[in-house]
Amino acid sequence: MKLSRRQALKGTAASAATLATGVFRPAIAQSEPIRIGYLPALTGPSSSTGIGINRGTELAVKEINAAGGIKGRQIELIVRDTQSDPTKAVNGATELTRRHKVQVMWGPLNSGEALAATPLIARDGVPQVHPCWVDALTDPKKYPLAFRNAPTNQQIGGAANHYVVHILKANKVAVVSDTTGYGTASLDAYVPMLKSMGATVVYQSSVEANNPDVKPELLRMQAAGAEAIMPWSVNAGFLSRLINTRAEMEWDVPIVGQTTLGSGQTKALLKKPEYWEKVYPNNFRNCSYDASGQLPPRTAEFVERIRKAGIEMSDTLLWWIALGYDGPRLIADAIREAGSTPEEIAGYWNKVKGWPGVYGTITWTPELHDGFQGSEVVMVQANSLKEGAFVLAPGYSG
Amino acid sequence: MLVSIVSYGLALGAVYALIGITYNVMFAASRVFSFTAGMTGMLGGVLGALFIDRLGMPVIVGFVATLAAGAVLGIITEILTVRPVLKSLDQHLYVLSTLAFALMIQQLTAIEWSTEPQPFPRLLPIGPGLFDQQFWLPMVACAATIVGLEWLYRRTLIGRAFLAIAEDNYAARALGLPEQRLRIASYALAGVIGTLAGFTGAEMMLAYFGNGPLLNFYGFVPVALGGMGSNRGAVVGGLALGLFQQTANFLVGGIFASVAVFVVFIVVLLARPEGFAGAATARRV
Repeated sequence: MKLSRRQALKGTAASAATLATGVFRPAIAQSEPIRIGYLPALTGPSSSTGIGINRGTELAVKEINAAGGIKGRQIELIVRDTQSDPTKAVNGATELTRRHKVQVMWGPLNSGEALAATPLIARDGVPQVHPCWVDALTDPKKYPLAFRNAPTNQQIGGAANHYVVHILKANKVAVVSDTTGYGTASLDAYVPMLKSMGATVVYQSSVEANNPDVKPELLRMQAAGAEAIMPWSVNAGFLSRLINTRAEMEWDVPIVGQTTLGSGQTKALLKKPEYWEKVYPNNFRNCSYDASGQLPPRTAEFVERIRKAGIEMSDTLLWWIALGYDGPRLIADAIREAGSTPEEIAGYWNKVKGWPGVYGTITWTPELHDGFQGSEVVMVQANSLKEGAFVLAPGYSG
Repeated sequence: MLVSIVSYGLALGAVYALIGITYNVMFAASRVFSFTAGMTGMLGGVLGALFIDRLGMPVIVGFVATLAAGAVLGIITEILTVRPVLKSLDQHLYVLSTLAFALMIQQLTAIEWSTEPQPFPRLLPIGPGLFDQQFWLPMVACAATIVGLEWLYRRTLIGRAFLAIAEDNYAARALGLPEQRLRIASYALAGVIGTLAGFTGAEMMLAYFGNGPLLNFYGFVPVALGGMGSNRGAVVGGLALGLFQQTANFLVGGIFASVAVFVVFIVVLLARPEGFAGAATARRV
């Protein structure tokens, strides 16, 4: 039989219409892998965090696929390195949602990139989990498909303030920040919080992070009778100058604040290792040793699996790996229990209650997509780092 | 308090003065105000830490290698960003070309080195305390530079040739002076002085890519205060700036210390636009 060009075109059009209406879709969907878009910063300035999180993420995906996948479907992690650049995060997000049609997004993994990419991911109707701290990154009305499995900045500041006021019992507090947006915003947010807890803020100031001499600031704090210093900055140079100068003044006031206080970069800039005494940065209860040097049972079991998998821990932090491990498992549980459409995934997450992550226990509701529990944000001893985790600061129970 | 103001103030002031001299040496040879001055200062700290701390070179070898890298950077600055725009100086295209090159240096340093401040090695086993090397090293470097430049410009033939092209490069060329080679040599010398500033000040300021813009600005202030082209004016202006900044740091503190510096800078420029040591430009009428 001779096939005319018109007949051939009609046939092709009919086939295309059949595919488009989804007659064969269930059969394809049953066998095809679940595509998770993943936006880590594996290179560039934020890459130390990104590389740590990536180790946990790869382990989780490997374990899920080795166990048979999700109802027989393997997870395909489609990775785009953001190179610590918000512009590249936006490009990567667009490529993943539009060209690769991913079912769900994990990341971006830092706030600068998430601020740029989250509106685009939301516009394309793709469910998203991210671990970024900036408060504005979740809003169930604006971004109904975006969920956070990490603390907010409010919770970070709240935990530090709680430690100073209720555990250290310091009533007179000095709060200092650098002049960056993060520093000044933290100062504006946390000073009223401290006052509402009943503390007296005896000194507050924003200082140029590059200022080589912070002694004048510390002398003013001392003269004001400060019983604790709370610096809000991610600049290791600024923080180390505060710690060095405090020690040189022979002033043993505690310094309590952001995680960078306990970072390797800060340590490298200290004039003497013992200057790190009485410095308490933020961390997370599930990833911290108690006073007897033990991790919580769930985390200890996880660390054993990390060791067996041959994952390097000495050059990173346990909470980064744990955080990376929880992301794909939250996604896998949603697809396993509810399905893989955006409505099914978000519908499941909206009802998650007490989900037992290694990094944190997650509870989401339709009104609140910040799932991390404030009580799991704690302070630790900066000079106690061992295999990626710190010891709880004095005063915590358990 | 007074000890801290004087020690930090003079040390910082010496670093600012050296960056001011870096601006001046480039300006004298080309009438170009190159924004790479602060970047050479930043690189002095970063390269010093790289050579001595990371690569394990002996201090003296690391010091010489850092200054040599500064000289090479100066030559590249002249070839890439100054020479192509010299014919149209009145359009001030050098602002764009040198600023763009300075930003490239800064970004490259951030990518290849680190965005975090890094420690700078202790060079000599002297200190801590008032006689800490972080205070006196920049001052010694500044004194040595000003004495060296005075000797070069007043006692050597090549120094006089530098002054000749600074005074009138058309006349200098007419006399047969190799203007282009002298300009390259001036830029190499500026690179050496800039990296010397950063190297000697790095224990105080740390090896940090973010020091570039800071030194660009605070190095410009002594030039504006002391008068464009006046090295003695830059030294006086730099030391005064360092002392004033540190005094403001103690008296008002926080962000107001920086504001105080800007206020004084603007007031001085309004009162005496040519700077304290500069001569008012004569205008033919």
